[in-house]
Amino acid sequence: MNFALKLLVAGVVLSWSTAGMAADPIKIGVSGPFTGGSAPMGVSMRDGVKLAVADINAKGGVLGRQLQMVERDDEAKPERGVQIAQELINKEKVVATVGFINTGVALASQRFYQEAKIPVIDNVATGTVVTKQFVDQPENYVFRNAANDAIQSHMIVEEAVERRHFKKVAILADSTNYGQLGREDLEKALDKKGLKAVATEKYNIKDVDMTAQLLKAKQAGAEVVLTYGIGPELAQIANGMEKLGWKVPLIGSWTLSMANFIDNAGKNGDGTRMPQTFIEDPTTPKRKAFIDAYVKAYHPPNGRMPSPVSAAQGYDSIYLLAAAIKQAGSTDGPKVRAALESLNEKVDGVVTMYSKPFTKDNHEAITAEIPVFGEVKDGRVVLAK
Amino acid sequence: MDILLQLVFSGIALGMIYAVIAFGYQLTFATSGTLNFGQGEALMLGALVGLSLVGSIHGGPYMSYLLMVPLVIVFGALQGAFVEWIGVRPAIKIKSEFGWIMSTIALAIIFKNVAENIWGKDDLTFPSPLSAKPFMILGANVQPMQVAVVVGALAMMLAVELFNRKSIYGKAVVATANDRDAAGLMGINTRLVITFSYALSSATAAFAGVLVAPLTLTGATMGASLGLKAFAVAIIGGLTSGVGAIVGGLILGIAETTTGYYISSGYKEVPGLVLLLLVLAVKPSGLFGKTAIKKV
Repeated sequence: MNFALKLLVAGVVLSWSTAGMAADPIKIGVSGPFTGGSAPMGVSMRDGVKLAVADINAKGGVLGRQLQMVERDDEAKPERGVQIAQELINKEKVVATVGFINTGVALASQRFYQEAKIPVIDNVATGTVVTKQFVDQPENYVFRNAANDAIQSHMIVEEAVERRHFKKVAILADSTNYGQLGREDLEKALDKKGLKAVATEKYNIKDVDMTAQLLKAKQAGAEVVLTYGIGPELAQIANGMEKLGWKVPLIGSWTLSMANFIDNAGKNGDGTRMPQTFIEDPTTPKRKAFIDAYVKAYHPPNGRMPSPVSAAQGYDSIYLLAAAIKQAGSTDGPKVRAALESLNEKVDGVVTMYSKPFTKDNHEAITAEIPVFGEVKDGRVVLAK
Repeated sequence: MDILLQLVFSGIALGMIYAVIAFGYQLTFATSGTLNFGQGEALMLGALVGLSLVGSIHGGPYMSYLLMVPLVIVFGALQGAFVEWIGVRPAIKIKSEFGWIMSTIALAIIFKNVAENIWGKDDLTFPSPLSAKPFMILGANVQPMQVAVVVGALAMMLAVELFNRKSIYGKAVVATANDRDAAGLMGINTRLVITFSYALSSATAAFAGVLVAPLTLTGATMGASLGLKAFAVAIIGGLTSGVGAIVGGLILGIAETTTGYYISSGYKEVPGLVLLLLVLAVKPSGLFGKTAIKKV
C-alpha cells in the first residue's frame, strides 16, 4: 500500500468516525412495567414518551442529535428495577432516565442514578417520598412531573369531607408500598380535618374476595370509601360492594382512571372520582393534537387510552428533559440537573404550561393547583362537575 | 349474626373454588403419585377459552354460557392429556422422583406466557350468565353466581366419584390407584389410565375456571395464587380424599374471610397457613387422608 492510499484510507476512516460521533444519538432510559397489573400505566407512559421523542426528532432532535429511547420492562418489581438501573447506567450509558410507575421500584432504583449523577424524571410514581430520598445530599438528581400522594390525598379528603360533607370515611388500601404510603398520606390529610377513618383495611394484589374488608367498612357506618390501589383490585372493591348490596361513593387516587378498573367494574364503577392531571378530552389544541396522535399511532381499543394521565406525563417528561439538555448545551448529568432546576424557557406540555417547574429545593413540577377531579361515566373518565 | 353469616357464605363460595382445584390435584395423585403443578394454569386456560367463546374479545359471542361449558371441559381434557404426555410420562417411565415436578411447573409457565400473548396481560371481565344482583338468605346477601359455583363444584365432584365407583372404566382408575403394578398385571392399561386421570383433572380445573370467572377477573395471572392455595387445601384435607378437598376448601375459605373481618385484613391468609403447618406436623397425610406406607 503506498503512502497516498494509506492517507486516503486514514482520512476516510477518520471522517467516518467523526461523522458517526456527530450523529451519535442521545440515549434516554425508560423504565416502567409493561406487563402485569400496572401495565396500562407503564405502556401508556412509554407510548407517550415515544410520541414526544418522535416529535422532537422530526424537528431535528436536541443539540443537533437525535433522541433514542432505551426501554426496559421493570415488571413493577424493585429487584428488576435495580438491575435495569445498573444496565442503563453502565452498559447503555444513558444521559437521563424517565419513567417509574411504582413507588417501590423508584425508591429501590434511584440510588444508582444519584450515585452516577444522572438525572431521573419520575413521570408517574406518586409516593411522596420519591423526590425526597436524597434531599440531604448537596445535589438531588430526582425530579418528578406527577401529582404526588400528598397533593392527591389532600384533594381526595377535601372532596369527600368538604365538598360532599361525608363525616364517616373508610380507607381501603393495598399492601404494596404504593397503597400503604398512600394510606398514611390519607390519614394525615384526614387528621388535619380533625377526622379519623372509621375503618382502615388492607388487601393483597390478586385478592378475589373483598367481603371482609367491605363488611368492616359497612359495619362502621362508612358513608364513603377512599381507595389507594391499582386497577384490577379496585374493580374487585366496586364489584364486592354490589355483592353485599351496599353502595357508597368511591373516591380514591388517580389509579381509578385506569382502563382495567373501568372495564372490570363496569356499571359498578360509575360515579367514582379521582384526581387527574390530564383527562382524555381535547380542551386545548395541544391536547387535541396529542390525543389524535396517540390514537393514530397505537389504536387503543374504543379510541380510549389505557391510562391517559401516564401518557400525558410521559410525553411532558421528555419535553422537560429536552429543554434542560438544550439549555445546558451538554448531556453531562450535573449540567442537565442544574438546567432542570433553572429552566429559562417555558415548556408547553400537554398537562400544563411549565414555567420554572423546578428549583433547587422543589423537584415537583405538578403543584396542588394543577390536578382536577375526573369521574367515571359510561366507561370513560370525564371532568367531574 | 348477619355479619358472621355473610362471612361464612362468602367463605363457602371461595372455599368451593379451592376445593375443585384441590380435587384436581387428587385425581392425578391417586393414579400416578404425581401432581400437576400447572393446575392453576389449567383453570386459567379454561376460563380464557370460555371467555373467547362467550365474550366479545375474539369477535364473539359465539354461543351461550351453557353451550360453552362442555367445549371448555373437552379443551381442558386435551390440555391435561398434553401435560401428561409431555411432562409426566417421561418422568414416570424412568421412575424419576422429581422430574415431573419441574416439568409440570415448566409447562405451567409456558401456558401462562402463551396465554399472555393470545389474551394479553390485562385482567378481563367475564360476562355473567346470571344476574349479578344479590338476594337475601337469612339476612345475608348472596349472588346467584356464588350459588352456581357451589352447586356446580359439588355436582362435578359427585359426577367424577360416581364414574369411579360405578363404571367399568372408573374401576380401572380405582384399581390403578390402589396398586399400579398389580392393575397392570390384571390387563389394565395403566398408562392410559394415568393419561385419563390427567385429562380429567385438567377438565375439572377448566370447568372450575369458567365457574369462578364471572365472580373474579379473568387473566393470564389468575391461576397462580388460586393454584397455590388449592395445593394447601389438598394437603390440609389429604391428597387421597374427595371429602377432604371439600372440607379443606371450606376451612380455608371461611378462615380467610372471618380472619379478615374479626382480626385484621392484613392477617387474612395466616390461619389457613398455620393450619397447614399444624396438619403437616400432626397428621401429614391430611385430615381425611389415608396414611401412606412406603415400602422401601
